[in-house]
Amino acid sequence: MTAPNSPLRGRKLGDRRVVVDRPHSAYFRYAGAGVMIAKAAASAPTTAFGRRLARVRAFIFGKPLSSAQEIEERLSKKLALPIFSSDAISSSAYATDEILRVLVLAGLAWMTWSIAVAAAIALMLTIVAFSYRQVCRGYPSGGGAYVVARENLGPNFGLIAAAALMVDYVMTVAVSSASALANLATAFEAIAPYKVELGALVIVLVTAANLRGVRESGNIFAIPTYLFVGMALLAVGVGLVNTATGAAHHLSPPPFAEQPGVQAFTMLLLLKAFAGGSVALTGVEAIANGVPAFKPPEAKNAANTLIIMALLLGTIFIGLTFVGLQYGVMATTPQGPTVLGQVGSAVFGGGFLFILLQISAALILFLACNTSFNAFPRLAAILANDDCMPRQFAFRGDRLAFSWGIVVLAAVAIGMLYAFNASVDALIPLYSVGVFICFTLSQAGMVVHWRKERSSGWAWRSMVNGCGAILTGVVFVVVASEKFFNGAWMVLIFIPSLIAMMMFIRHQYASSARQLTMRPGAAVPQPHRHNRVVIPISGVDRAVVQALNVARSITTDIRAVYVSDDPHHSDSIRDLWTQAVPDVPLVLVESPYRALIAPVVAYLDVLDRSWPNEQEKPITFVLIPEYVARSWWERMLYNQAAKRLRAALLGRPHTVVINVPYRRDDARPPAAPEEQPAGTLVAADNGRPH
Amino acid sequence: MPEANTPVFRRAVIALSGSAIDAGIVRLALEVTRHTHAELIAVHVVELDWTQPLDADVAERSEEAQRVLDAAEGIAELMHGKLESVLVQARDVGAAIVDEAAAREADLLILGLPYRTRFGGDFAIGRAVPYALKNAPCAVWVVREPMGEESR
Repeated sequence: MTAPNSPLRGRKLGDRRVVVDRPHSAYFRYAGAGVMIAKAAASAPTTAFGRRLARVRAFIFGKPLSSAQEIEERLSKKLALPIFSSDAISSSAYATDEILRVLVLAGLAWMTWSIAVAAAIALMLTIVAFSYRQVCRGYPSGGGAYVVARENLGPNFGLIAAAALMVDYVMTVAVSSASALANLATAFEAIAPYKVELGALVIVLVTAANLRGVRESGNIFAIPTYLFVGMALLAVGVGLVNTATGAAHHLSPPPFAEQPGVQAFTMLLLLKAFAGGSVALTGVEAIANGVPAFKPPEAKNAANTLIIMALLLGTIFIGLTFVGLQYGVMATTPQGPTVLGQVGSAVFGGGFLFILLQISAALILFLACNTSFNAFPRLAAILANDDCMPRQFAFRGDRLAFSWGIVVLAAVAIGMLYAFNASVDALIPLYSVGVFICFTLSQAGMVVHWRKERSSGWAWRSMVNGCGAILTGVVFVVVASEKFFNGAWMVLIFIPSLIAMMMFIRHQYASSARQLTMRPGAAVPQPHRHNRVVIPISGVDRAVVQALNVARSITTDIRAVYVSDDPHHSDSIRDLWTQAVPDVPLVLVESPYRALIAPVVAYLDVLDRSWPNEQEKPITFVLIPEYVARSWWERMLYNQAAKRLRAALLGRPHTVVINVPYRRDDARPPAAPEEQPAGTLVAADNGRPH
Repeated sequence: MPEANTPVFRRAVIALSGSAIDAGIVRLALEVTRHTHAELIAVHVVELDWTQPLDADVAERSEEAQRVLDAAEGIAELMHGKLESVLVQARDVGAAIVDEAAAREADLLILGLPYRTRFGGDFAIGRAVPYALKNAPCAVWVVREPMGEESR
């Protein structure tokens, strides 16, 4: 209790009141009987350095948000669309190129099939989007394919889906930043030697934006996404009008055009074109992973956003493919213009709108990685809650973002950039393999879901998802076999390795939980083991006295240990000790080999061995007196032996190590001898700080 | 009421009694002073009878008393407003509230009034509200909670 304030006089004679202090109110707020909520001040740093660091963090990442503000951080559909769709929508910028690049192998005459392939992919997009829409509604806690597979196919299938998705998210970040840098390097050759460093810088900037919180990152990234959507739809619209009015004419072949091949037009080639164009589907699953990020009603908003995204993606993709066909655009090598570029140049005539379209395409390709920065941490958090990832991944940072997931994703993606020297050609075969595994598992999971649920329309719904599972499964096989020798084999190693890691973590958590779990309903009995205290000392000083006083509050079985390499000094310590603390035995250990820590540990071993075998081992409290340094440089001067001793005793059975800090502020002027109460210890102040 | 006639307050004291109406008057005060950035002071008075000294260690140890003010602070935080909280021990609640408002030179005092009836059905206004209405040097707003279904 704080000292009562003196009564204040009121306006009328005799009226008095006392203003009562509320010492807790600066740091806590009572929320219910016995429940306190910590305020921001309770988490604020107390040191000057900590405060400065907090100011820097607040400047870079923004002020910390409380958990109650989580609802304000939720995303509206308008903001969620660019956050979760930049990856999917950006793929419409290059998916048509992937189809044409395969079809051209059979000659120009077969290019007209591009529209049929695009239509088939759009059909698959519809099935996948329909399926994920159901996932949003059926599994509103998020997790997407992982949760669907876990719930319907079993936990191990869930882990396969999760691992595949995680690998793909990492690759999305690495590939999008590498390809954006590659595009920039074609315009500004000077940056080519620094592609890796600049790619890493881009990732760090996107990481920082995401650490500012989901809503703020949405505000940052919304404009480029909407700009691209607007420009691409405008290009498609103008192209369609031109086609309808007969103004669309075939263009002359662009520079670096792929040379038409003479391969036979087979089903396999068509399948390869289908698989190539299926990259348009990457990122579609992100919304189903992040349902809880939406404003209420979360599931409905997420499902509607998913449909809007699928409509936009499908329209831009089919539209570009159709308009491109009318203008006779061709696939080019990576040095040549893209299909989007050719269409833009044809419909806008190379003016301001064309430049705006190209800039918006470059920006959205740059920001495609942002979808991964939202989906990966959420997936990792769900996995952490299921004990398949370290639990830190489920913690939200100052800005309510899953900081661990964001930082780890950035670190791994930067590592990939360095490992592959930011080469798009080397990275691309690793990309979009995992996502088809997760599509297949999620579709298959939904088939089981419908069959279990048997709600109205379950038969046709399960049939649609069954077709989706087969289609996406085929695409996975084609993509994986196509890219296998180009590097996809690495993905097929990463995924099982990740699964093994998650299974190991799950096993570890399960095993520790088994050891820690109390029997339900069991009352905790009084402790019955003997306690003893050992105090390693380096002299007789106030810190030791403080440790002794703590020891006396634990037990009466106390002994001090002094390890010395100087017999003369030992004698003086013994004299001092006997005089100051006659009732506590001091064990002097002479150490002719000058070791300080090992003899203490050996002494504890001897104590243990001398304990009767038929009795339960006692708990040995090792109280280490520590002098608390005031500043960072003082810390280097003191407590080094104490730190080593603590490290040596870490994990020792039946042993509890306690640091007893002694602060200079704890020092009181010693009372005159006649005033000292009986039993008070006063140490001679001639010991060395430890 | 025309905009020009809307009173502007610099400092308002909100008297909290720990009843259900507290949340409503805190929200009202925050709304009224949102644009004027007036200072808001929430006061809760713990009444001590004459068996205890006025400076007895009662309110500080009372989690319930602290909770009344903490709940108000919580509402202010949610509404992005600022609110100072003051816990007072006194012999008479009405006098303490008025004295606190006067000492802080408040120009508005807001009190909540739970709808209670005496035995027999008469409305019970209590002692604090009439005292404040009669003695407070500033404007006084009394917000009575709605009647319960059974009272209508």
